[in-house]
Amino acid sequence: MKRAFPGLLLFVLLIAWPGGAAAQPAHTGPMPSGRFEPAASLRRDAYLARRDEAVRWRAAQTPLANAGLADLAARLALRQDAPGVSARLIEVLRTPSGDMFWMFPVTCIAYLGRDQLTPEARAALREAWRTYHPLRGDTENHWVMYYTSMLLMAQLWPGEPGDRWFNGKSSDEIAAEARAWLRHWMDLTTTIGQGEYDCTHYIGEYLIPMLYLSVWAQDPELRQRGRMMLDYILADFAVDSLQGMYVGAHARTDDKTVLERWNGLSSFFAWLCFGNTAPPAAYGGWGMFFAVVAEHYEVPEIIHRIATDRAGPYLHRERKRTRHRWRHSDVRNAPVYKTTWVGPDYAVGSDQGGLLQPIQQHSWGLTWAAPDPRGVHNAIFANQPFYGAEELMMYFTEMPDWMPASVTFQGKPTYTSEAKLLGGSPYEQIFQQDDTVIALHRIAPDAPFVQVNGFFSKDLVRAEEDASGWIFAQGGRAYVAYRPLAPYEWRPLEGGGRRLRSPHARNGVILQPASVADFPSWEAFKAAVRALPLEVRLDPEPRVAFTTLRGRRVECAYGEPPRVDGRTVDRAAEWKLFAGPYLNAEVGSRRLELTHGRLTRVLDFNTLTITDAVRP
Amino acid sequence: MSRRGRHFFAGALALVAALAPRAAEAPRHDLHLLVNLSGPGSGIIGRAGQARSGLYRSADRATFEHVGPHHIRMFHLTHDPRDARVVYVAALDGLLRSPDRGLTWRITTSWDMTEGKAVAFDPAEPAHLYLALPDGIAFSPDGGGSWERRQAGITRAYTNALVVDRSRAGRVFAGCELGIHLSEDAARTWRRVRPTAKVTYDLRQSPHDPRAFVAATSADGLLVSADGGETWRELPGIGRERTLHNIVYDPVVPGRLVLCGWGVGVQVSEDGGATWADRSAGLPRREVWSVAVDPDIPGRLYAAPFQEDVYASDDLGRTWRPLSFGKATVFALGFLPRPAR
Repeated sequence: MKRAFPGLLLFVLLIAWPGGAAAQPAHTGPMPSGRFEPAASLRRDAYLARRDEAVRWRAAQTPLANAGLADLAARLALRQDAPGVSARLIEVLRTPSGDMFWMFPVTCIAYLGRDQLTPEARAALREAWRTYHPLRGDTENHWVMYYTSMLLMAQLWPGEPGDRWFNGKSSDEIAAEARAWLRHWMDLTTTIGQGEYDCTHYIGEYLIPMLYLSVWAQDPELRQRGRMMLDYILADFAVDSLQGMYVGAHARTDDKTVLERWNGLSSFFAWLCFGNTAPPAAYGGWGMFFAVVAEHYEVPEIIHRIATDRAGPYLHRERKRTRHRWRHSDVRNAPVYKTTWVGPDYAVGSDQGGLLQPIQQHSWGLTWAAPDPRGVHNAIFANQPFYGAEELMMYFTEMPDWMPASVTFQGKPTYTSEAKLLGGSPYEQIFQQDDTVIALHRIAPDAPFVQVNGFFSKDLVRAEEDASGWIFAQGGRAYVAYRPLAPYEWRPLEGGGRRLRSPHARNGVILQPASVADFPSWEAFKAAVRALPLEVRLDPEPRVAFTTLRGRRVECAYGEPPRVDGRTVDRAAEWKLFAGPYLNAEVGSRRLELTHGRLTRVLDFNTLTITDAVRP
Repeated sequence: MSRRGRHFFAGALALVAALAPRAAEAPRHDLHLLVNLSGPGSGIIGRAGQARSGLYRSADRATFEHVGPHHIRMFHLTHDPRDARVVYVAALDGLLRSPDRGLTWRITTSWDMTEGKAVAFDPAEPAHLYLALPDGIAFSPDGGGSWERRQAGITRAYTNALVVDRSRAGRVFAGCELGIHLSEDAARTWRRVRPTAKVTYDLRQSPHDPRAFVAATSADGLLVSADGGETWRELPGIGRERTLHNIVYDPVVPGRLVLCGWGVGVQVSEDGGATWADRSAGLPRREVWSVAVDPDIPGRLYAAPFQEDVYASDDLGRTWRPLSFGKATVFALGFLPRPAR
């Protein structure tokens, strides 16, 4: 009896609360193969099945009495218990909070519930948009959520005067303002690049509003724009992904995802749209607000193929832009030059260094493929830990002195830490040729931390400090040679692994990876790297001349443009908006061409057309 | 009694005579605070909080009434000089206008004019409204009904402070990233009258002498002008090391200035800035965001140390007592005239 009772209790609990029985099969189950399914109908069925898994899990997760907005949206998507959902919605709307993170979930519920919610619930929704004053926010993702929500809600309640809205504007005024901002943002993005580019989490805050726009906007122009931007952002992710992991340089990532590369909201979208990885816990949280409307999106075959075809390595370049610069800059949006090399075993990506984004910038790194990346710190990179009011004043408009401390209690606790592994630095200059990265540092003596931090994962197969000065390591099927240019020491990392701390003002790192398949042995790889011509000088400025494993002679000097095989690289002239085998766009063109094999798709924002073609 | 002594005695009597009835009267102004509550229950952009930040008003200087929406980024306020019930607040969303002392609100600006830092009417052209923005300056000819950009001549257009010369219509000063700029044609064109290395965060015109101005800067110290803002000089005794947030004139006592800043504490001058007395001893910290001088209660100062209570002093800062809020960042402290009933 003693043994039977706990089991009986568990059984009763599972019956009483369906959420307790609901697993997240894709999150905890085996990794999917990631193989591209050529049959369109099967691909679509699999996509809808994944969507169904996520929505059903959410709908069963929380008793209605405690349901939040995501739970209610899931129930509405499944058309479950509309009276109960309505009653609970009225309760939830009594304490609105979260600004734009309240707006788009409520917009979603309002639209999903148009033919389900009770009149009382619809009235509560209407009243909430009169009495609750959500803030517009101060970043690009905030504005996308805010204006998309404003547009759709003004459309839902047209012709109403200003006293019916929290901001005092009429429905017509709200719609006109939102339309103007959305056009402006799309124009910026398709001419000089996205500001919060390639974000491992915030990608959701772009994809979700664009899905809503593509599905619910009555204006055919905005509906088309939404659909095109959805493809645009998804394609931008697909080309910079490996096994569904967002790789390379990011405008924003976080302390968790920069190490465990799979564990970001972006992996939810890879799972849902491409089926080539597992979703994060709770389907990425916010991902639910995409899932509940996902049936209205057809993932383009060409994007699916770009995301999953890793048969051969490719080099991809992009031009992005910084967020708006308010102070300490003569340009509103400075260019960001990105390079990503993607192969089957690993990917390497970088930007040019500098303060390109505040707080959460990830400038360069290698991500290796892992059979199951869950819990694996499959990355190697370095950064110059920097923080300061100068950076924050550039990208935020507030008073200077309080900002660094305020960042640390706004969800970015490592911002002022010397051990930080996130963030850009004004003292870092980076160049990437193929899969080789050279980062040089010239750190001012009054910088917050005069040091370079290198990340060495707990999941490296091996790591050896070689007498040559190279550190040789292996992660998955990637061999990595890491060359610190100044003396260093090791520090343990919470969560495993080690931090290479190099406390020298003139500094740098060379990263030279290779695939295990490219060498007959570990010893052969090491011997090959040791034999590579390398000249290093740190005084008066850091300077490196290095011949890569691919035979390119790269010369980098701090404060000077890099040279490759004797030719000076002019990034401003050479970096297009997108350039590579799969995505191509000229700066200023408003036109993105996707290519895979015989397939092409052109997203032309000049004519608002999507053109598909198949080469015979 | 010497002639100088007689003058001093007569002046003191006049001052007492002027102030005594005012002290007994009900205040003619209400204290307003733009508050970001940062204690338990506070929120950040996009994240929940139960505490109500935003505009607070106090008639009795002891109890505070929350007015308008919960809002964590309101930076500056003013009122329509023709009607004190009409309140304007420069905020993250742009410029908010309330026609009824905060009962109802409208955001008067659109997506391209946001994160307002300061707002000022032209006393000589009371429909003309100027708005400082992090990317320039906006002008409204009709009290916020419509807006246009007016910032020709300003490079690095971050603007945090505005003051309109009350002695001449259309004469406007702007505190920008690289200096103090002056326009004499209602902001259509600007010229820099004082370069600075970093931002000018506050600009004021003396209520006693329209040719006197003062500016608090980030890295250029405390600047004054005695010729209507054409030339500026740095006042000694303050230094350039710390960010100066707020500089205010005593509206009643000529020559009295009160200054605060990050690490600066509260500084009081009785001689137009020639000398300064540190009046921070009774405050919990020297990082002081904003200060105000009560126009109705002689000797009463207010100070808002960073993430602390708001403090009041009845002896010009020699002693302080906490008033309210527990833990708050007060972006602005100010007085608006109390409308006639």
